Amino acid sequence: MAASRTPLLAIDDLHVSVEGKKILNGLTLQVRAGEVHAIMGPNGSGKSTLAHVLAGRPGYEITAGTVSYEGRDLLALAPEERARQGVFLGFQYPVEIPGVNNVYLLKAAVNAVRQQRGLPEVDAFEFLGLVREKMKRMHIEDSFLSRGVNEGFSGGEKKRNEVLQMLVLEPRLAILDETDSGLDIDALKVVAAGVNSQRSPERACLLVTHYQRLLEYVVPDIVHVLVRGRIARSGDRTLALELERRGYDWVTGEAA
Amino acid sequence: MSTPLTARIVEEHANASRALPPAGPTAARRRTALAALTASGLPTSRDENWKYANLRPLERLRFVPAAPAQPVAATDLPAAIPGFARYVFVDGAFAPALSAALNATATAVTPLCAAGDAAGTSAAPAHTPGADADERFALLNEAFATDGAAIRVAAHPEEPVRLELVFVASADAHSGASYPRLELRLESQAQLLLIERHVSAGPGASFVNSAVTVDVGAGATLHHYRLQELAVRAIVFDTLCAAVGRDACYRLHGINIGAQSARSTLAVRLTGERADLRLAVVALGEHQQVQDTYARVEHAAPRAHTEQVFRGISAGRARVAFNGKIVVGSEAHGTDSRQSLRGLLAGPEAEIDVRPQLEIYTDEVRCSHGATAGKLDENMLFYLLSRGLEPEVAQRLLKWAFLEDVVAKIGVAELRRQIEERLALQVPEPFARAESA
Repeated sequence: MAASRTPLLAIDDLHVSVEGKKILNGLTLQVRAGEVHAIMGPNGSGKSTLAHVLAGRPGYEITAGTVSYEGRDLLALAPEERARQGVFLGFQYPVEIPGVNNVYLLKAAVNAVRQQRGLPEVDAFEFLGLVREKMKRMHIEDSFLSRGVNEGFSGGEKKRNEVLQMLVLEPRLAILDETDSGLDIDALKVVAAGVNSQRSPERACLLVTHYQRLLEYVVPDIVHVLVRGRIARSGDRTLALELERRGYDWVTGEAA
Repeated sequence: MSTPLTARIVEEHANASRALPPAGPTAARRRTALAALTASGLPTSRDENWKYANLRPLERLRFVPAAPAQPVAATDLPAAIPGFARYVFVDGAFAPALSAALNATATAVTPLCAAGDAAGTSAAPAHTPGADADERFALLNEAFATDGAAIRVAAHPEEPVRLELVFVASADAHSGASYPRLELRLESQAQLLLIERHVSAGPGASFVNSAVTVDVGAGATLHHYRLQELAVRAIVFDTLCAAVGRDACYRLHGINIGAQSARSTLAVRLTGERADLRLAVVALGEHQQVQDTYARVEHAAPRAHTEQVFRGISAGRARVAFNGKIVVGSEAHGTDSRQSLRGLLAGPEAEIDVRPQLEIYTDEVRCSHGATAGKLDENMLFYLLSRGLEPEVAQRLLKWAFLEDVVAKIGVAELRRQIEERLALQVPEPFARAESA
């Protein structure tokens, strides 16, 4: 993979608390364009907190550290500004929003990015064609077009919808928070194919996952193990296999 | 129960009656209503089902029917709905010059003042208003109303009849009250699309007291769209009493947006087997508006179906209330009723009161209810922000989504467009009108 010298995302000594409880304790991580990083770790190690902090979710107190994205201070940006700059969060638990149409949201999201770049709004007809094509790739039925956002979707459908949104928005930095959890093997393959189709020298992806199963289909460049809010160990994909074999106790014990 | 208020009503009634012809069934009915009202008095805030209504203005309001303050022109009225005959009433009195009458023999639309003794046209409604203590404002209307619409729809199997009634309030409350009145009867198998709107001509601080009786005969279908879009200083009390017969279908859509202070009492009895009711109300309040709705649905026959939906948004220092009661009588086995009542608080000083009530006197029923009142969902909001939407846009989008349930079911396209346009004044649309994706 071609990797540029300045990282797309640079997290330095990040400390984050939620309601006074320390979750991230000096996390440092650099992601270069073109790379796929997997963030693994036991429950409660801070994986989802990291994903949410990067997307700008309220309720997290950043007590120390910096995050730069494309060389700028990411933490100074509002959530919607981050999205417009190309940061995408695939939610672990995508919300249902009855009454807001799926396509309507997709189009609003695409137009928000285009407005940021000084481009005119998408042509509605062409856009629908593009969405249909990507829906096919994600094995999403046509009825999706007329439904509310995630309304009545199964767990697997919600995850596929997250990846569909990513495919349509083409973010520079995709953060997928346990997009693999709750998927059967067929759905996992579909999701993985979607993620792989986005890999390019200009883009990067952070895969937050509890299991290494997804990594059989989306091969990461680097695997990090998060323990108690900091990276306890980094390595290539074999680290994920070793974790699978030896369990998280292996690193949590080491980090203690 | 004579109170200073009822004593004043009686006095005003005596003065007003001198100007009217003394005889006829209408006069008798007026006297009966007044006697009943004197006996019962008007509701007070101590009455359980009236505690959210704003009753204070009653002390200073005048009850005599107002004379129209100014000539009302067609341009003062909402745009006509294509395909609908229009009947306009100004301060309760029929205004033929502003109306475009129906060209259908199977339907009789008669101004009540002209109905006089004509047989049948002003037959007593199946559901006598005022029988229930919560319907006392209908007695007030009955005592004072001098005109209104009597509509009788005969079976008309091919096409539903399309009617629009526009009740215009033009007079200021100082000069008296406006009494819109509608007596509607659908005969067996009849079909009617009815739009009933209450609007103001000018900025008038009018006092409006409307009364509607609806009788949906066996197998008949009524789609009834009620829009209360009075001017911001108006005060309105509204009472609708309906009876729905065997295999009949009643779709009642209420959109309550206007007035300073509005109370709507909806009493629907399902009197025939398998009667089917959908009662959906949207209410918006802002500034210091009061929007109070009490909807009582009574299942008095087996296997009838009710879906009761409320969506209210309260902003500023407004109070928006919905009290939805469903009573399942002892004979109403096989009842299927659903309630979905939701209120949205759109400001720190706004008030929302959502109250579902269920009284069941038989077994073998399926009744479900859900009621929520709260702010916009933070998770939904963040989801939209994370997709790049501006916070302002995301909030508007969620408010529209909140109303979508009810608005999307307004089947008359031009009416829906007008309603959406009106809603957008209070709840701005997320974007310029989007093409349907």
